[in-house]
Amino acid sequence: MIRRRAALAALAAVVAGLAAYPGFASGYGVRATLQIFMWIVLAGSWNLISGLTGYVSFGHVAFFGAGAYTGAILVAKVGWPWLPAALAGGVAAVLLALVIGYPCLRLKGPYFAIALLGLNEVLRALVSYFEGLTGGGNGLSLPTLDATIPIYYAMGASAASVTLGTYVIITSRFGLRLMTIREDEVASEAMGIDTARHKLYAFLLSAAGPGIVGALTARDQGYIEPISVFPLATTITMIVMVLLGGKGTVWGPVLGAVVLFVAQEVVWTRYPYVHPLLFGAIIVAVVLLMPRGVLGLLQSRYRLPRTI
Amino acid sequence: MTTKALGAVIAAMAVLVGGLAAQAQGPIRIGASLSLTGTYAKLGKNQHEGYKLCEKDLNAKGGLLGRKVEFVVYDDQSTPATAVRLYEKLITEDMVDGVMGPYSSPVTEASANVTEKYKKVMVAPLAATTSIFKRPPDKKRYYVFMVISPAEVYLEGLIDMAAKRGLKTVAVVNEDTLFSKAAAAGAVDIVKKKGMQVVFQEAYPKGNTDFAALLTKVKSLNPDVIAAATYFDDAVALTRQMRELDVSPKAYGVTVGGDLPEFYDTLKANAEYVYGATQWEHVLPYPGNNEFFGAYKKEFGHEPSYHSAAGYAGCLIYAEAVKRAGTLDADRVREQLLKLEMRTVFGDYKVDQDGFQVAHRMVTFQWQEGKKVVVWPDEMAPAKPRFPTPPWNQR
Amino acid sequence: MNVFVTPAMLAQVVVSGILSGALYAMVALGLALIFGVMRIINVAHGPLLMLGAYTTYFLYSALGLNPYLTVPVSMLVLFAVGVLLERTLVFRVVDAPELSSLLLTFGISIALVNLAQLLFTSDLRSVEYLTGSWVVGPVALSKPRLVAFVFAGALTGLAFLFLRRTKLGKAIRATSQSREVAMVCGIDVQRIHLITFGLAAALAAAGGALIAVIVAIQPEMGQIWTFKSFLVIVLGGAGNYPGALLGGILLGLIEQVASLFLTTQLSEVVAYVLLVVVLLVRPTGLLGGRET
Repeated sequence: MIRRRAALAALAAVVAGLAAYPGFASGYGVRATLQIFMWIVLAGSWNLISGLTGYVSFGHVAFFGAGAYTGAILVAKVGWPWLPAALAGGVAAVLLALVIGYPCLRLKGPYFAIALLGLNEVLRALVSYFEGLTGGGNGLSLPTLDATIPIYYAMGASAASVTLGTYVIITSRFGLRLMTIREDEVASEAMGIDTARHKLYAFLLSAAGPGIVGALTARDQGYIEPISVFPLATTITMIVMVLLGGKGTVWGPVLGAVVLFVAQEVVWTRYPYVHPLLFGAIIVAVVLLMPRGVLGLLQSRYRLPRTI
Repeated sequence: MTTKALGAVIAAMAVLVGGLAAQAQGPIRIGASLSLTGTYAKLGKNQHEGYKLCEKDLNAKGGLLGRKVEFVVYDDQSTPATAVRLYEKLITEDMVDGVMGPYSSPVTEASANVTEKYKKVMVAPLAATTSIFKRPPDKKRYYVFMVISPAEVYLEGLIDMAAKRGLKTVAVVNEDTLFSKAAAAGAVDIVKKKGMQVVFQEAYPKGNTDFAALLTKVKSLNPDVIAAATYFDDAVALTRQMRELDVSPKAYGVTVGGDLPEFYDTLKANAEYVYGATQWEHVLPYPGNNEFFGAYKKEFGHEPSYHSAAGYAGCLIYAEAVKRAGTLDADRVREQLLKLEMRTVFGDYKVDQDGFQVAHRMVTFQWQEGKKVVVWPDEMAPAKPRFPTPPWNQR
Repeated sequence: MNVFVTPAMLAQVVVSGILSGALYAMVALGLALIFGVMRIINVAHGPLLMLGAYTTYFLYSALGLNPYLTVPVSMLVLFAVGVLLERTLVFRVVDAPELSSLLLTFGISIALVNLAQLLFTSDLRSVEYLTGSWVVGPVALSKPRLVAFVFAGALTGLAFLFLRRTKLGKAIRATSQSREVAMVCGIDVQRIHLITFGLAAALAAAGGALIAVIVAIQPEMGQIWTFKSFLVIVLGGAGNYPGALLGGILLGLIEQVASLFLTTQLSEVVAYVLLVVVLLVRPTGLLGGRET
């Protein structure tokens, strides 16, 4: 009981600190932290579908890109303010997930992964093609606006929502059923779980976050182009973050996002010409040595609760 | 004066003197995010070397405003999102005194948002896209300055020469990225202005290496001119397949990539007669060009490309403006950059109210017997173009 | 812009499609083997091809060797590299869920590309050896692509003979069908995995060596080949080796024909849309492959 109170108090302190951060941090500090929030949302969302149900989404950045373009087009061409545009980005991503989730979730393992990968490329190519709307290869430029601090809060709220949402799901029966599907889908069906519907819900939920932060990022950068919002590297990075922290846990994605982002920043500053090599090495190390991630390891060693 | 007031004055003076002393002693730090890895790695590295040589030259002549110049460079991996973060870092954490631009138009476009936000002057030597500088009134930018000629005029020389020789039909192909699209759009405009006709226009995705279908279509229309807005890989593949499919326009030109020595090394005889556009050649009669060429080659072990020269010149232009302003203050420096007219190893510099380059001229060259010979504009051309390009089977 | 398409143009484009399709088939065969035998999705396939291209380039420029003579050398070198990678890293994820193999091979992939950038620099290179074409009627056959076609066809044919006729080849196919049964039959499955990965790397290297004469060589050149190999495998059916051949040719044809009738940009979209459609309608591939 006391440990739980202490943990909650610590959490409250961290949240308060983060809320006050923009008051005394440099522009870079705010922007870097805002990007960490973004990664938390991406990693946490990926965790919802792939960590909980075991369906590896290898093209998850497609939702980020869809949200980015929706938000950017609404701001630049229709004149919406960025916050409703961001929410619209989330909606667009969820609709996309509905359209592709329904057929794709019937595929097994590697096929699902490849299908999502293909979908990501289709989306990127389509965005490039419909130039009139999206600017095509030219990219899309938004009106100048210094909204870094409000966006920081929006991203922070998104990160908190995803983490909280994951906690709620993991502790619910819905979450339990998802994990049953992960362990043995056939048995779950036999037990009477409507696997198709459960998977779809998880998939839809996992698309909302990336959609919203995609639109927020577009606003923050002020310029997007197809290659930079649909890259495979983003999908891989979010996956590695979850793996590092602990797949299927609540705080795993948060831990992974923070650690990896900070590591990358530190590494880049020191070794400009070799960081892809180092990143590759980190990925290999995580996959081989810590496939269950830090929290997964702690969970089995120290009997940490499942809901962590 | 009361003791309190005297104390305050002394304290203020101490801070002032201390601040001035710190200023006077430390080097002037100029920050930049460059593409040292990723897609633009090779050209970003050349630009970096240009900056480094400029730093060396400035310091050899006593520095800037009496202080040494020191570059602080980060790698943005050729991605705009990273560059944005890095410029924020340079400006708000590393507290650099000034910044210089990154490599490529997309990265510059994103980074300009940051430098505008913090009101830091940024001379962007490798951004060729008009839309970065010419913006609608609600998105206007005040602190970015262009050095090179815009993408839209890359193919101007080719089209102009073709028009003068009575050619009529033009096919335009381009890679589907920011720079190439702008170059193609510019080419189309110029074709229309000269009273010629665009008979074919198609874009291909970045990374495409098989142009068989595209060239089959082009061949069926038999255009007089083929204007290709390319980078290196596609320029090579396109040229080779033109030979294979026997596509023989009377004039064929490419943009980026055609000017690299590797273009001829790779294609050998097939590169003959190909026109290319370049922002700079070391044989052009600009002041200090030979010295720059020699010093660069000695320092870095290879010949400079125009990216090297642009980086070098851009840095010198910024330094000149700072010198004339007598301060690093952004608004003062900006005033100077708007007024400045300067000729460097790279060519002429003069910008309009939007920071858009208006004086720099591109040159068009043609590969003749393994050498790049400048053939346009006439006033800078030591030789005539070999025209028309003979069909493949007659070479 | 739409152009009037004549039969001659169509013929030209179909021929070009078949020529490039054979290369796709050969490279994808390697990927199919890895997936079929080891159930691993090898994202590092493209970089292996890239290394093959560099091997050929260096042999050509340092020793002046006919680049086509370097094909077997590139294949041997990458066979060794493949075996090394398998022995040290890949074998650990053979039975793991697909996420592990995807990530591991991705990590290897970016490490290899960066290594190449450091060792070889991003300078653009190409082998200038064979250009031009042979003209047959209305169709121009690109010389380097035709030669590549012949080599690819021969190598793929040899690979099939190997799989069908030799004891080792049959052992590979047996392991591909059922690892447990193969083990029971006394097949050294570890060794099969080693050889399969090496073989796949060799096929990718051959692809690289052959296209070294056609395209510009730079460290990132392999990425697009990884994608295309995936496409081929989906089209032809994972684990279905003749399917890789069909899938490769099909992809080559689709790309070229779509470029002709639509635009080159759209042909990219068409290929990926096809991937998704096939996955949804017939996930085991057009010729029927493996379930999982």
